[in-house]
Amino acid sequence: MKANPHHHVYTPVSKKRFHLGDKYQLFLMALPFLLLVFVFSYLPLYGWIYAFYDYRPALPLSQNEFVGFRWFTSLVSNEFQREEVFRVMRNTFAISTLGLLTSVLPVIFAIFLTEIKNAPFKKIVQTLTTLPNFISWVLVYSFAFMLFSVDNGFLNNLLINMNVIDQPLNVLGSDNHTWLSMTLWGVWKGLGWGAILYIAAITGIDPELYEAARVDGANRYRLMWHVTVPGIIPTFFVLLVLGIANFINSGFEQYFVFKNAINMEHIEVLDLYVYNIGIENNNFGFATAVSILKSIVSLILLFAANSMSKLVRGEGVI
Amino acid sequence: MTRRKKWTASAVAMIALLVFMSACSSSKGGSTASNSPSSTASSAASEGTDDPSKQPEITLDVFSNLANYTGEQTGWFAKVVKDKFNIKLNIISGGQQKASTLLASGDLGDIAVAIGGDDYKDAIKAGLLLDWKKDGLLDKYGKDLLENAGKSLEANSKQFGGGTAIYGVGNSVGSGDGPSDGARTTFGPMLRWDLYQKLGSPEIKTFEDYLPIVKKMQELSPKSDSGKPTYGFSLWSDWDGVMSVNAKVTAQFYGYNEGDGFNTADIMMTKADEAKWIGLLDDDGYYLRGLKFFFEANKMGLLDPDSLTQKFPDVINKYKDGQVLFAQFPWLTDSYNTTENTSQGKGFAFVPFTEEKMTSSGYNPYGSQYLWSIGSKTKYPERVMQFLNWLYSPEGAQIAAAGPKGVIWDIVDGKPALTEFGYKAVTNSVDMPAEYGGGKFTDGGFQANNATINKSMINPETGEPYDYSMWSSYLNHDPDPVTKSWREAMGAMTMKDYVVKNNIVAVQPAYFSEEAPVAEPADIKQKKAEMGKVIKEFSWKMMFAKTDDEFAKLKEQMISKAKGLGYDDVLKWQVENYEKTVGAALKK
Amino acid sequence: MGKNSKISMFDVCNYTIFALFTLACFFPFYYLFINTISNNDLSSRGLVMYFPKGFHLTNYIQVFKIPGLADATIVSIGRTVIGTVLTVAASGFLGYLFSKPTMWGRKFWYRFLIATMYFNAGLIPWFLIMLKLGMVNNFLAYIVPGIVSPFFIILVKTFIESTPISLQESAQIDGAGHMTIFWKIVMPLITPVLATIAIFSAIGQWNSIQDTVFLITDSKLFTLQFILYRYFQTATSLASLLQAGGGSVNLATIQTATSIRTTVSMVVVIPILLVYPFFQRYYVKGMMIGAVKG
Repeated sequence: MKANPHHHVYTPVSKKRFHLGDKYQLFLMALPFLLLVFVFSYLPLYGWIYAFYDYRPALPLSQNEFVGFRWFTSLVSNEFQREEVFRVMRNTFAISTLGLLTSVLPVIFAIFLTEIKNAPFKKIVQTLTTLPNFISWVLVYSFAFMLFSVDNGFLNNLLINMNVIDQPLNVLGSDNHTWLSMTLWGVWKGLGWGAILYIAAITGIDPELYEAARVDGANRYRLMWHVTVPGIIPTFFVLLVLGIANFINSGFEQYFVFKNAINMEHIEVLDLYVYNIGIENNNFGFATAVSILKSIVSLILLFAANSMSKLVRGEGVI
Repeated sequence: MTRRKKWTASAVAMIALLVFMSACSSSKGGSTASNSPSSTASSAASEGTDDPSKQPEITLDVFSNLANYTGEQTGWFAKVVKDKFNIKLNIISGGQQKASTLLASGDLGDIAVAIGGDDYKDAIKAGLLLDWKKDGLLDKYGKDLLENAGKSLEANSKQFGGGTAIYGVGNSVGSGDGPSDGARTTFGPMLRWDLYQKLGSPEIKTFEDYLPIVKKMQELSPKSDSGKPTYGFSLWSDWDGVMSVNAKVTAQFYGYNEGDGFNTADIMMTKADEAKWIGLLDDDGYYLRGLKFFFEANKMGLLDPDSLTQKFPDVINKYKDGQVLFAQFPWLTDSYNTTENTSQGKGFAFVPFTEEKMTSSGYNPYGSQYLWSIGSKTKYPERVMQFLNWLYSPEGAQIAAAGPKGVIWDIVDGKPALTEFGYKAVTNSVDMPAEYGGGKFTDGGFQANNATINKSMINPETGEPYDYSMWSSYLNHDPDPVTKSWREAMGAMTMKDYVVKNNIVAVQPAYFSEEAPVAEPADIKQKKAEMGKVIKEFSWKMMFAKTDDEFAKLKEQMISKAKGLGYDDVLKWQVENYEKTVGAALKK
Repeated sequence: MGKNSKISMFDVCNYTIFALFTLACFFPFYYLFINTISNNDLSSRGLVMYFPKGFHLTNYIQVFKIPGLADATIVSIGRTVIGTVLTVAASGFLGYLFSKPTMWGRKFWYRFLIATMYFNAGLIPWFLIMLKLGMVNNFLAYIVPGIVSPFFIILVKTFIESTPISLQESAQIDGAGHMTIFWKIVMPLITPVLATIAIFSAIGQWNSIQDTVFLITDSKLFTLQFILYRYFQTATSLASLLQAGGGSVNLATIQTATSIRTTVSMVVVIPILLVYPFFQRYYVKGMMIGAVKG
């Protein structure tokens, strides 16, 4: 941590008053906001108790059937069930790992974008690459269907006309490389948008650092590597740690629209599974139980990743 | 220093203000489905006069699990209700999650439509629904309800009100013999009539006999209107519950239905008019037969290869383009049977098979299960009751079904007929007049989306059904060449006429029980969700299997996996309920 | 290295790759757009690919005729502007406070805040709390819950910790309070990250729909997204409607056409596209000089 500026005070008289008050004053200024957090994020957690009930929304809790840990144990109640959960976790693990690996792409995107000197071109790139972020997954799928459908799909028409294939490919209805293709769709949708954070971080780098390096005779690549990269590493690490904590929260919308009977085996991630079993069937007890487990895992991962960050970089993120 | 303190103080004050403001407004915005502030009327004032239109304007919150729309009711229905009752309707659309939040909040608005089975019982237990017997409400304001839906009220009282209270009334109430379907039945099959005629209308005995015929039709018409390949069948998976909706239809062609119409029994199929049932995965059952049917179709190149990945709107677009030649459901063909196509003799029509016994539900004096009920927090029980009563009166039911009299329809030579404007309006080809709220006819209908009196019932005031598409004037109004040709060939006026005349329909009689259906235990529900996922997944894999061996292997896998996840337990629970209730009644 | 004298291999590759990726991002959007202004019949048959065919604006006219659109737009703009301003201010201020190591219990409170990113209480408890707080049918429901956003605070804190703080120090010596330091010195320094937060927050506000679905039944408080997207709901309830008694239902009259649904998505994206470039001027490299020296 940096040296505390408050220690460099000139007059001893004011020092005492200033210092004592400052500690609590900072806290008091944050307090109203912390109260908001408590009210909107912590108070609803009383609902975690539903995980131990067969919860029916209309009835007061006392009239609901208490089921103990049944929703928790139901996940591993028999061999078939365990197999299901294992498969779902495997998918979640695979897709999240690929997601973490591709999380460097927005960094690279931002670095190379700043190397573009033509301002209008840069602006166009920066604007248009955020477009996919604003198209809902449902529409993304309808576009994907237009591209890849067997019957009159763009790709199949092209390949058949070029005599590359004679039988149309069923890209969406196949289970080949499901994890990878889901990751690629995610990258396409989120890359330009995700890069905004890093573009902002690059903007915050002190230009004098570039000047100094240039004076030392650094070329373009050295500038990128020795000035730009260190400048955005803190942001990257913060996002990485947060991303690791989000490992099992892969979301569900994307997988929901792309799922079908053939790729179900590999596309069903935890969030989609909970939707299929819990939400769709109005089983609040089960959905809450899974959500508690997810929160616990996320927090463990968060603190583990933070410790790793301390080990690697000498400072934690949170 | 002082400045700093001032800043801090003002920041704290601002946040405190925000928190305070939100806490304060809880008193006024505290209810989820609160009556809009514009409703200044008090219920005391409403008792002064008998003419409901002279009463102060109020807004009623209508929560409907069947609604697609949220917001103020607009269009012609809004105008009619405003003129007659001085009531505005605020529609709140449902969905399981929204319904759950309202149930948890303890306020279901003024009118609650189609609260599901177990939720309904809970809502009564928690005091969220109004007892219609209280203060003689029903007797005072419910004359038409008692007259037209008396048995349904009685059934509700016995099932949910302990024989004394009444908490609601069933939808689509009706009485009489025969199927309660409209002129067009719920199931087909439909074929491209022009192509089937060209083949010389070959005889079709079993469901599987469609395959070679559809193949020949495909050879006759290999390209669609825009030059794309044609298929016999194009399916979709986004509606699947525990099974493939498209494969399930096979059972419905053979007189079996999913469930029994009373209990939660969705992994068994019951014969509509006999005490017989089969399990979803029974080896000789109709579901597996349906899967086999589409498997064979795929081998013959008749199944749209995109069936697995496309969504329902894509299927409709394919029908529109003439890419599909067979339809399980009549309404699938609406996008192809346009005036443009039918005037050229191209269009779909009903082509049944000899063995067919299409399922249908009979008229039900007890009403179906999408109940209409009144929220206990309503401030205007009398006016809500008046409005509901009107919906169950011939006048209200007729307007809800066919639009305002004098605009869309009128009595011509003693019989109801659509006006010239009406014929255009019901197909949405013209907008409604501005004084009726403008917009499309269908958008202006009651957005609660639930029927009161069965639309196929005869309106005593006109002598014809409520449903305009069953009026003789409508049926004889310039039929298109496809319809004409079909009528001549089949010797019947409508699909319904044909199935009744030829006795190829299995009508499920109305069932009445003094007890409400048994609630589905949570563990059964969860097991069903798990195995339903497996059944759906393997069903599609089977339809697209490459060889007979693969098909058999997948079938085996599906059955063993589903059983491992609790298929037998769920089936046992469902069968027990069926045999105690609907099954027992059918045996008599 | 000669300035602009030669076009290097690096530049060629860089420009080409960006151009291709931009095209890949833009084309789907363009494709959806031209389908909304083309003849719906051709469009539904998949015949509109590169250029609009049978140009018309009926879809847009129909969408703009949806009742209540004007009021909903005002609500949407209101929540976006007010919500974004408050969120940005709160995030900046809290990020600054948490960057001060002297704060009492800093580590604990910071973690208290961050942890909420990984909690999900579920729909019903959340709803009941909002109901008790009076957030049902209340415009504040759009604003207050989003004021404190852990993610944005993390961004600001990280950013502040990576910028020079010498100016803050010198100001502090002059006896300036935290509020003054924050407004006069820190705020200008963190403009890029605040601009980012503003974009993220504004888009979040503009696109938000769940809060309206569950908390609002009063049509005066409906947002643009909500009234447009209720047209998407048709698909799900259509299934139950048709299966229940499809015989007398005419599908052609009740189904929302794909073209309208796509048009709706265009209508909500276009305002974003108009506003977004405005924010980009905060990303110009070198603006820090002005901030530090001025």
